[in-house]
Amino acid sequence: MTANALPTAAARPRRKQKNAGLKLFLDILNHGALTLVALAFLFPFFWMVSNAVRSDAEVLAVPPRLLPTEWQWENFAEAWLRLPFGRFFLNSAIVAGGVTAITIVVSALAAYAFARLRFPGRDSIFVAYLGTLMIPQVMLVIPLFLIVNQLGWVNTYQGMILPMAFSSFGAFLLRQFFLSIPRELEEAALIDGASRLRILVSIIIPLSLPAIGLLALFTFIGQWNNFLWPLVVVNGMEYATLPLGLSMFQTEQGTSWNYIMAGAALSMLPGLVLAVILQQVIYKGITVGAGFGGR
Amino acid sequence: MKTTAMLAAAALLGAALAGPAVAQDQPVTITWQMWGSDQNDIAAWQHLADMVSEAHPEITVQLQTTPWNDYWTKLPVLAASGQLGDIVAMQSLRMPNFYSLLEPLDERISADGFDIDAFDASIIGGMSNDGVVYGLPYDVGPWMMFYNKDKFEEAGLALPQPGWTLDEFKQAAVALTGDGGFGFGVVPNGYSIFAAALGADYINEEGQLDLTSTSALAAADEFLGLVTREKVAPLVAPGASPGDIIAGRFESGNIAMMVDGPWSLISKRDTVQFEMGLAPLPRGEGDLKAVTAGSGFGISTSSQNKDAAWKAIQVITGPEALKYLAEAGRALPARKAEQTYWFDVAAAGVEGAREALEYSLSHSATYEITSNWNAVENLFTQYYPLAMTGSQSPEQTMQTIQSLAQSQ
Amino acid sequence: MTETVSTREATMAPPRRRNRMSAQEARTALVFLLPSLLGFIAFMLFPIIASLAISFTNWQLISAPSFVGFANYQRLFTLDPAFYTVLGNTLFFTLEYLVLNIVLSLGLAVWISSLKRGQRWFRVIFFLPTFTPAIAASVVWLLIFTPGGFMDTVFQTLALHVPNLLLDPKLAMQAVIIVTLWANVGYNMVLFNAALDLVPQSYLEAAKIDGASAWDRFWKIRLPLISPTVFFGTVMTAITSLQVFDQIYVVTRGGPGSATATLGFAIYQNGFGNYQMGYASALAWVMFIIIMALTALQFWLQRKWVHYDS
Repeated sequence: MTANALPTAAARPRRKQKNAGLKLFLDILNHGALTLVALAFLFPFFWMVSNAVRSDAEVLAVPPRLLPTEWQWENFAEAWLRLPFGRFFLNSAIVAGGVTAITIVVSALAAYAFARLRFPGRDSIFVAYLGTLMIPQVMLVIPLFLIVNQLGWVNTYQGMILPMAFSSFGAFLLRQFFLSIPRELEEAALIDGASRLRILVSIIIPLSLPAIGLLALFTFIGQWNNFLWPLVVVNGMEYATLPLGLSMFQTEQGTSWNYIMAGAALSMLPGLVLAVILQQVIYKGITVGAGFGGR
Repeated sequence: MKTTAMLAAAALLGAALAGPAVAQDQPVTITWQMWGSDQNDIAAWQHLADMVSEAHPEITVQLQTTPWNDYWTKLPVLAASGQLGDIVAMQSLRMPNFYSLLEPLDERISADGFDIDAFDASIIGGMSNDGVVYGLPYDVGPWMMFYNKDKFEEAGLALPQPGWTLDEFKQAAVALTGDGGFGFGVVPNGYSIFAAALGADYINEEGQLDLTSTSALAAADEFLGLVTREKVAPLVAPGASPGDIIAGRFESGNIAMMVDGPWSLISKRDTVQFEMGLAPLPRGEGDLKAVTAGSGFGISTSSQNKDAAWKAIQVITGPEALKYLAEAGRALPARKAEQTYWFDVAAAGVEGAREALEYSLSHSATYEITSNWNAVENLFTQYYPLAMTGSQSPEQTMQTIQSLAQSQ
Repeated sequence: MTETVSTREATMAPPRRRNRMSAQEARTALVFLLPSLLGFIAFMLFPIIASLAISFTNWQLISAPSFVGFANYQRLFTLDPAFYTVLGNTLFFTLEYLVLNIVLSLGLAVWISSLKRGQRWFRVIFFLPTFTPAIAASVVWLLIFTPGGFMDTVFQTLALHVPNLLLDPKLAMQAVIIVTLWANVGYNMVLFNAALDLVPQSYLEAAKIDGASAWDRFWKIRLPLISPTVFFGTVMTAITSLQVFDQIYVVTRGGPGSATATLGFAIYQNGFGNYQMGYASALAWVMFIIIMALTALQFWLQRKWVHYDS
């Protein structure tokens, strides 16, 4: 974050001493105020966990109780054991991981072509790509299912992964980022005879890790929580993903509120871990003097 | 055990198994589109599937389950792409919408001399469209009044008895309301059940929706009046599951009475921390008309193995299967003779359960619905809150729903 | 890759050989685009064309479709009493939500980047809601907003007379906006925060020495430098909010009355609630045209405020 702080280092010390006390105070105030905002954001999670560990009958008590009268931590285990959640986790991980991996490779290649290479129809194709983001997914589900069915991919991992792996969001995001990388950086390599693929892999991608990290995070989470497509393409439990599993707590006989909350809280853990890990990549920054605004 | 079950099933199937054809049957695998939620649920359906293979060794039934709510999203997608299983589970409320996916069963029933009268008549009606049977039911349930017995006793009220009237119901609801608690819970899409019980006509003689008939409007006025006039029922917001919200408030003890069916009796009984009781719905001036819902199995029109599927659905709605489901408390059997097994399990410890059910079943009626019933129910959920808060009169709301339902 | 040699030559080549170079470049581009194009055609283009075709039929999913010409479109513009309400709701939602989302996410991103410590924790916290499964978000917010629920109780305790959001036709959309902001503001926050992080510190330090206030530094340096990213975030947010469906389905189901029924919700309700795929597809295509037009407008407007440093 401070990799570029060098130029003014000399000017700093004097000013710092002057307002040190006030600065510290403002700093604490700043942190404190944002902490309050963050707590408000976290309230629904508190509510989720608080309702996960009470009895089902207490969930809709009027007026609602902030904390359970009786803490039922065993609800987490109950929710987990009622359904093959281990299997669901595995399936979700395979599907979300598969889609993410393919999306990154495919999007990076396409984005580079859109950002750097000149070829006939480039802009029209790009606009067509963008256009697909504007059609609601629900409308595509049935035609997609017909295709996947023709391919014999119903109830398979490839049927769950491939149709979701070609969203143009990734190409759009990465193209925008690639455009901001100064051309001079690759021109030298081109003159040296490096191939375009080599340039992409050894120059552009290392510079774009923050954007790729973002794409990975957004794609993974989107797929981890995707509901409609797995619902349509999966039959039964073997390939069911977590969102389908959570839906199983809503039955003809009613809703098991506490188990849904417990299952949901558990299902969010991998995303949380991923977000923490990817932060390292997203916020690594680039040490070259290339600003985000470059072209 | 295996042999006994097999013998029993074989004996029950009688005609279907007789004749030399059996020995020549080729092995066949058929798929069964079913809803199912937790492992126990799925294990129970799997048990039924296995019963088919025991009765007919040449048939293997492959179970394909989808969570209950999502089954109705998935079914039309499968139908649209010709991927429907051989056996399709169907709920009576969806039958008018989906009957065209299913094979009419009348010919098979008469050809085999299948005893359809062993089932509750109202649910055979529910499994039919225009008088043609499209599925064999496995469960049946009239909607009834679930009540919190503790609250009745605290208020010093007599417990509701079969045959009670709307006025008696309202008096009880008023007495049970107060201190932040409510006597009753109005669920918007429960209007038609309530209206039917009072003998109102919300469907005309041509089978079309008629929400603005005099009796339909009067019933709406009574139903909504419980919230707006008597104030014995809480406001309900539009949204995902108003029925579940009311059920949750009932379970927490905030609401003393609610309308539900026997399918949720066992889970409710185990969740609540009070004594629960069961009464039929209150009647209007005339006799009670207790509408029922239930589910069963049909044969998909696209099936390549219709004969095998027909054999299979006879097994999974047969006496043995329904006895099994009843004893597990899963379903009140659609077959009258097997209902007693359910009473011993699910109704145990619930005040008045048996009387309420027997009374309701003896006054049962097929639930009259239109082919777009799902859309109609959604409109009730969406628009009734306007009438509850007084932004619109009940009459205006009924007119809106009527006109929107017709435009769809 | 065979173009390496020729590219090298081409860089310094006379004009005639430039053509060869660009043909080479086009070939490379094709190779780069191929995987994406194949997937795009199979899993995007084909379904999209199919949905266009479906919009000219009366397909109800469970019965065979027949061609009805423009009947669905005609019904939509002239007969459907709900269409203009739905359109109005959609635009109202998009406008309010887009402004709030960009202001809030940009504000949070700047705020977080101003912190001396704990930046990473705050980022994770504000991003957390984006990975809540829809069904869980639905239940949690239901328990908060439902009459007699958490929110009503809080207002009652404070003796404030605030009507229940879900029951008031004028306020119900605000409930949807609150839930949508909570669920999605994290995406743009992370995006903008990452971009801010890449603004060279040297620029800011230089401006500081010149006596620019924090306010000026934001408007004159940081915002212009991250404007391509803000543009991306705005375009994507506009596209997704015009399609808003999840939160409506989850919180209000379009009610009370038709107060929160949006295009995205109407498409779902017609397609998967009433199984009228033909009509739902027609709605989707009208929505597509609207989104396309608004996105084109944004691309046109970007010249006025998006700063590409060339």
